[in-house]
Amino acid sequence: MNEAAAAPDPRTVREALRAVIDPEVGLDIVTLGLVYEVEIEEGTARVRFTLTTPGCPLQGVIVRGVTEAALAVPGIERVEPELVWEPRWNPEMIEEEAWKQR
Amino acid sequence: MRASPLGALTGVEPPPFNLPGSYFAVALLCLVLGGAGLAVIAPELAQGAYFSPRVTGVTHLFTLGWITTSIMGALYQFFPVALGKEVRWVGLARVTLGFYVPGLFAFVAGMLGAWSSLTVAGALLLGAGVLLFLLNTAFTLKGARRDLTWWALAFAAGFLLLTLVIGGALAANLRWPFMAAARPVALATHLHVALAGWVLLVMVGVAHRLLPMFLLSHGAEERLGRFAVGLLAAGVLGLFSLHHVPSRWARLVPGAAMLAGVVAFLLQARAFYRHRKRPDLDVGMRLAGASLMLLGIGAASGAALLGVGFHHPRAATAYVLTVILGIALFIAAHYYKIIPFLVWYHRFGPLAGRQPVPRVAELFSSRWAGTAAQLLVLGAVGLVSGTWLGSGRVVRIGSIFFLAGVMIESVQMILLSRRRPA
Repeated sequence: MNEAAAAPDPRTVREALRAVIDPEVGLDIVTLGLVYEVEIEEGTARVRFTLTTPGCPLQGVIVRGVTEAALAVPGIERVEPELVWEPRWNPEMIEEEAWKQR
Repeated sequence: MRASPLGALTGVEPPPFNLPGSYFAVALLCLVLGGAGLAVIAPELAQGAYFSPRVTGVTHLFTLGWITTSIMGALYQFFPVALGKEVRWVGLARVTLGFYVPGLFAFVAGMLGAWSSLTVAGALLLGAGVLLFLLNTAFTLKGARRDLTWWALAFAAGFLLLTLVIGGALAANLRWPFMAAARPVALATHLHVALAGWVLLVMVGVAHRLLPMFLLSHGAEERLGRFAVGLLAAGVLGLFSLHHVPSRWARLVPGAAMLAGVVAFLLQARAFYRHRKRPDLDVGMRLAGASLMLLGIGAASGAALLGVGFHHPRAATAYVLTVILGIALFIAAHYYKIIPFLVWYHRFGPLAGRQPVPRVAELFSSRWAGTAAQLLVLGAVGLVSGTWLGSGRVVRIGSIFFLAGVMIESVQMILLSRRRPA
């Protein structure tokens, strides 16, 4: 296995996060626009994400889901989920095409 | 970007599944009994005999059994979402149910059998349960961020206490009559403090947080919700303070304020529905919409009766029935949102990110839920119109439709509560 192939890509992690759904809306957190940024540094994935509303009851579930999904990506050894409230999420952040196709 | 002010990634944890679950189980049992009771009291409803002990007993199966028990269970689940605080004492919440449920059934049995001693004993136990709930709620609200939802819940808790005080006096009056001609006024005050002060204010506060989440209507104008809280609270306070004053204005002014509060709430809900990003409404939100329309009809009836007086028994009975059924259906609608979510959260949530998990809507049959919702709405329409028309037959047919809807929803909730990952 060469060095380049082993290095995980933020896009790969972002795609992996599509395994985490908001069960009420029925969309994954990437399509919903909840994932703001994914950075990878030396096997550590730092995921900045938000929730649809402060006090969202899914907070714990989504944090665990983000961690589990990112850890499933080869080359990711550690995950640092960071919940942020700015910018505040709004429904315009949903990926329009995916919303129409559901 | 600013990190979560809580700094915590796990957040405030909801209570164990069986805490709200036990309240919901009792509430569903009361809904089934109340639904069956409606068929039994159909003749009294058609005559507008709202003073009949059987009507009072069945009414309390709805107001205390279905509506209040559901609200208590839902609030224990809702506090972390709305206030960012867990319920203060989970153990006390369980003890509360231990007082509340036997008290409720003794109270209702006492009413139905016209056994005043049992009614008073039930009222005492029930009252103890309500006081424990209020204590837990007060300490949960203490120190939480004060927004619209906080104020709505705080006022609602205060009005539940007032409801208990007047209700206790009415129960005592059955055993040791002392109210004489003041009883109808006390009964009307008890009813309106309970429905507008306790239940509607909870609905306003909770809907203000949940409707935007369910409909994805973030960013909708929210000013009307504040008007609703202020007007309802002012109206109920006015009604309670002036109920003994023998002046028409003492009813008209608080009544108008309460009506304006209901209208503001309905307009706020309409704004959330219209502003929604989700184009398709699920069964829960469709039934909630229908229930709000019924509540609107109830408010319009109340406005008409406020003008001409509440002297016509059938009209007064139909008005109260419309409001109670509107509220009952609003709660039935939210069971299709809350229970599947609870099951998902506790049973499927831990698997998120590791393996595919179903959506909340996939945990139950939408088709059966749709059938239940249609039967409930049809039943409510039949019950109300039969009462207006004075037709016992129409009331009974309505009650059968309503009970069929209740049974389907109850079976769905039982099946749902057993869902586990394969």
